[in-house]
Amino acid sequence: MKLEPVDVLIIGAGASGAAIAWSLLETRMRILCLEQGDHLLDKDFPSRREDYELARYAEFSCDPNVRGLPQDYPINAEDSCITPVNWNGVGGSTINFLGHWPRMRPSDFRTRSLDGVGEDWPVDYHDLARFYDMNDRNTGVSGLGGNPAYPDYTPPHPPIPMGKLGQTLARGFNEKGWHWWPSDVAILSENDDGRQKCVNAGTCDLGCAAGAKGGTNFTYWPMLENAGVELRTKARVREILVDEASGFATGVLYHAADGQVYEQKAELVIVACNGVGTPRLLLNSKSKLFPEGLANRSGKVGKNLMFHPLTGVAGVFDEPMKGHEGPMACSILSQEFYESDPDREFVRGYGLHSGRSTTPMTYALGGYGIDNPIPWGAEHREIMDNVYPYLAGLTVVTEDLPEEHNCVTLDPDLTDSDGIPAPKITYRLGENTQAMLKHGEARAQEVLLAAGARRILPKGDKVWWRAGWHQMGTCRMGNDPGASVVNGWGRSHDVKNLFIVDGSIFVTAGAVNPTSTIQALALFIGDRIKTNIATLFD
Amino acid sequence: MSAHKTINPQLALDAILDVLIPANRDRDIPAAGELGVAAFVTEAAARNPALNSALVTLIARAGELAGGITPHTVRQLESELPEAFSLLLTETYKGYYSRPDMRAKVGVGSHPVHPAGYEVASDPPALLNELTAPVRARGPVFRDPTGGQA
Ligand SMILES: Cc1cc2nc3c(=O)[nH]c(=O)nc-3n(C[C@H](O)[C@H](O)[C@H](O)COP(=O)(O)OP(=O)(O)OC[C@H]3O[C@@H](n4cnc5c(N)ncnc54)[C@H](O)[C@@H]3O)c2cc1C
Ligand code: SF4
Repeated sequence: MKLEPVDVLIIGAGASGAAIAWSLLETRMRILCLEQGDHLLDKDFPSRREDYELARYAEFSCDPNVRGLPQDYPINAEDSCITPVNWNGVGGSTINFLGHWPRMRPSDFRTRSLDGVGEDWPVDYHDLARFYDMNDRNTGVSGLGGNPAYPDYTPPHPPIPMGKLGQTLARGFNEKGWHWWPSDVAILSENDDGRQKCVNAGTCDLGCAAGAKGGTNFTYWPMLENAGVELRTKARVREILVDEASGFATGVLYHAADGQVYEQKAELVIVACNGVGTPRLLLNSKSKLFPEGLANRSGKVGKNLMFHPLTGVAGVFDEPMKGHEGPMACSILSQEFYESDPDREFVRGYGLHSGRSTTPMTYALGGYGIDNPIPWGAEHREIMDNVYPYLAGLTVVTEDLPEEHNCVTLDPDLTDSDGIPAPKITYRLGENTQAMLKHGEARAQEVLLAAGARRILPKGDKVWWRAGWHQMGTCRMGNDPGASVVNGWGRSHDVKNLFIVDGSIFVTAGAVNPTSTIQALALFIGDRIKTNIATLFD
Repeated sequence: MSAHKTINPQLALDAILDVLIPANRDRDIPAAGELGVAAFVTEAAARNPALNSALVTLIARAGELAGGITPHTVRQLESELPEAFSLLLTETYKGYYSRPDMRAKVGVGSHPVHPAGYEVASDPPALLNELTAPVRARGPVFRDPTGGQA
């Protein structure tokens, strides 16, 4: 069945889809967003239940393979040491993201010229600075201005409390003479525009029932729907269609909630399905013109998958740290080891993030993102009574370098509930990353001891399994059509009315959570589309 | 879960759970079996065939082991039937810590975390100023290759 054509068709209602829709609103073009999931209803926030932690292992797991909800697509990660995690629904992964909001740094956009690795981006920090600011205002970002790790900027709201845990660790960093700063967070420290400030519930991964966390379900989407953007939910795009004569995208085929497949025509198609969902969709969109997948003449669709591999180190203190009070992943961030240093055995660097500690069930089961239960028996009692309440930890979040063998392909057998081939991940840790993780662990231990930890907990060697929160690089941007999928403003080199706006267009990963950059980039691309509107398809 | 001939499966499960998460009498914290976590585990098993067969196997084997259910015999179950044991352990931890009263015993609120959350005081500006002073004093710590001149 055919539907009325639209001007702009956005696929995916997550972080990037919402931001580009907002940017294009003023053009008065007819905008439609197709989203495979649905709105999250108020009654479905598990943090209102007494047994809220159970949801983390069932319908609110960050792992789509555990959730297995109708809107999820399975991901084969058997050939990877990290599995991608996400949320599929209005808000995308900002439903269950943790709201940590650091920007990328100027050097992140120039890794080839500065450090001889990765590639330089066709844009830089200063191109994005005004869009970072714009997005921070729209999202409601809290933080402290004057961070010497960045060119000057000030978040719109004051910082959220660091808490006892953050203050303790800050003193440890000061003792070492190392950089740290209160985290920028997409979490309100004060009531704003009808949204409530954070109540320090600590379960940001279970959706934020307070509305304090800047998921696009609370920020952009209510505004966009009020302004007339059509958001069609339970609409899973099967493939993007292309006209063989012109080489332009004509629209999509999608599966609707009624079980039917519809054709939706559009002048402009924008893909915003995240770093795994986007290459999957392009690879599933094969045609005579594009036998290897849409917009894939470069062969780079699905290649260079980057995560932020991480590991954690925890110290036991003398007093209870109350790590479960306050936003789960955000307190302070050290970027002491962020930039390359020739004296180290690796290039580029990492951040030391003070996640707070987690709730008892999750701690007992191994921690967030890890399936490795703590010991049982007398040791269990000892840990839960005399260790767990006294913990403070640091997470080593490393920059992953782009490597072609790390990739998203299509699984030959696995499909989603509509029979669409599912993605397969092939990924291994690079040597550079392994060296960083080792270095970071040792530095984290030093800080914890300097902060007063009486001992450091032993840890396994494995990186966290469910740490595929950040999925980047699989449709990289660049000026060379032979080596990149989109140009410097997100337009496909091969299909002139096809844009990509999610983290798959990242050229390198930085060592910071990506969403502030993903959205700033989406706003930047929106701005370029508006500026170039007269010659958009030339 | 089906009954086993030689031992009372309910008692055996309670006993295993008591070993997995023992009590702390000094702090009035009960063990998992006495808390009734077996009901949670058996309800989960009714929905999960793999867990159900793990339970049946573990309890049957527990009945064969001499000396009753002790940390030693539970360790033996773990080494002989690692996959079944791991399923039971995970479900036991879930059952125990989904109890609001047990969360409170380890210092975490028993209430649902929304809407009340936790009271956390904001850091006084003077403290923030004092703590960040040495970081600011060291000056910029980033490289800016384009400095706005892309
Ligand atoms: C548990 C967790 C914690 C995180 N914590 C942080 C953090 O603290 N800070 C940070 O910066 N980032 C964090 N992230 C990452 C962050 O959520 C993502 O970077 C961000 O949401 C990506 O935006 P996106 O628009 O690319 O994709 P998403 O926000 O994931 O949105 C993609 C949308 O596309 C839809 N979609 C996909 N395929 C199709 C299709 N074929 N048809 C229709 N719809 C489709 C999906 O359903 C989804 O809603 C976290 C992520 C997770 C899962
Ligand atoms: S801690 Fe704050 S941001 Fe996180 S879920 Fe609770 S209210 Fe929301």
